[in-house]
Amino acid sequence: MVDSRQLALIHADMDGELDGRERAELARCLLADSEARALHEELRHLCSALDAMPKAEPPPQLAAKILAALPHSTRRLAAPSWSQPRWRYAAVIAAALVAATVLFETVKVSEPVTSDGAGTMAAPGTPAIVNTVRLDHGPVSGQVSLYRDHAGLGLALDLVADSPIDVLIASNGQTLRVRGLRRAAAGPPTMGPLPGVAMAGQAINVTFLVNSQEVGQATFRAPKEP
Amino acid sequence: MVRYQKPVFNAALRLLRDPEDASDVAQTTFLKAFEHLGKYNPDFKFYSWLYRIAINEALDVLNSRTPADGISDEEPDGQPGPERRAEGEQMGRAIEDALMRIKPDLRTVIVLRHFMHLSYEDMGEILMLPEKTVKSRLHSARQLMRDQLFQYAVS
Repeated sequence: MVDSRQLALIHADMDGELDGRERAELARCLLADSEARALHEELRHLCSALDAMPKAEPPPQLAAKILAALPHSTRRLAAPSWSQPRWRYAAVIAAALVAATVLFETVKVSEPVTSDGAGTMAAPGTPAIVNTVRLDHGPVSGQVSLYRDHAGLGLALDLVADSPIDVLIASNGQTLRVRGLRRAAAGPPTMGPLPGVAMAGQAINVTFLVNSQEVGQATFRAPKEP
Repeated sequence: MVRYQKPVFNAALRLLRDPEDASDVAQTTFLKAFEHLGKYNPDFKFYSWLYRIAINEALDVLNSRTPADGISDEEPDGQPGPERRAEGEQMGRAIEDALMRIKPDLRTVIVLRHFMHLSYEDMGEILMLPEKTVKSRLHSARQLMRDQLFQYAVS
């Protein structure tokens, strides 16, 4: 009968959590006890097989389904605090999801995106442009602007491209990728806020990719608070 | 979402063994995460919080199933299964069967440890359990799976 101490050592070995002394203890135990040895071997096979189980790819339409459902959630979003790095990281993900939704909706419908359709993202009032970078060469052209409104800093993308664009937004040591954005058929520039991404004075690097190849870049510097 | 979509979907898939249910769980997880972002405690890892939502959602789906739904013959990847011949694939199928035959709380620790490769600490954070309890559950889960697989080999 394998006792509880032997069991603990065997399982700890499966998890790579034995120190040198414990490894030696387990080795002695396995040498002396055939039942423990058999159990160790069986569990080792089991753990190897479990660890080797293949990962499935999510359905390709999953992201689109989430994005399509997201605006309903944004209306109930509680206002978070942006003071902690992890908050900021979570906020970056949330901002990108909604920014992607705005773009997605712009493609789906011909009329301009309204503040109602964009949930919490389209701010009322006129945003103040902080800086604008033009992209005049290559497969992506148009302009990208960093703006500020009552909600904080945001990016406005007024771009034309033949293929879906991936956008990498890097700032504050974090990189966010928004995949498969398409050219807006009509309407004003697509705008999405960047809460927590851009701290005062930090660079915001925006990279555009088509078919995983970099096709354009824009760099902004987040201004100090007014 | 890009970063966490696959692990969240796979965790749900291993717990539920149904791609459609797993997809629904993943969708609900991200929507809830976004909706409750204001409740996220930055003292914990973001992925722990997200995975906890996913696990709870998957367990809710499991609880809503009738007992007959517990073990599905459906392939987790949606691919046709009866013709699979390779020994490795048969082993994979046997492991999936064994996994579905153990209790959901034990299945959960197997999924977190062996499919998501999380540490005891992370598992404790996700399940809101002491590491000691996590270890104990994991040991029991492995023992039961080993017994299930032994029965499979005998039969």
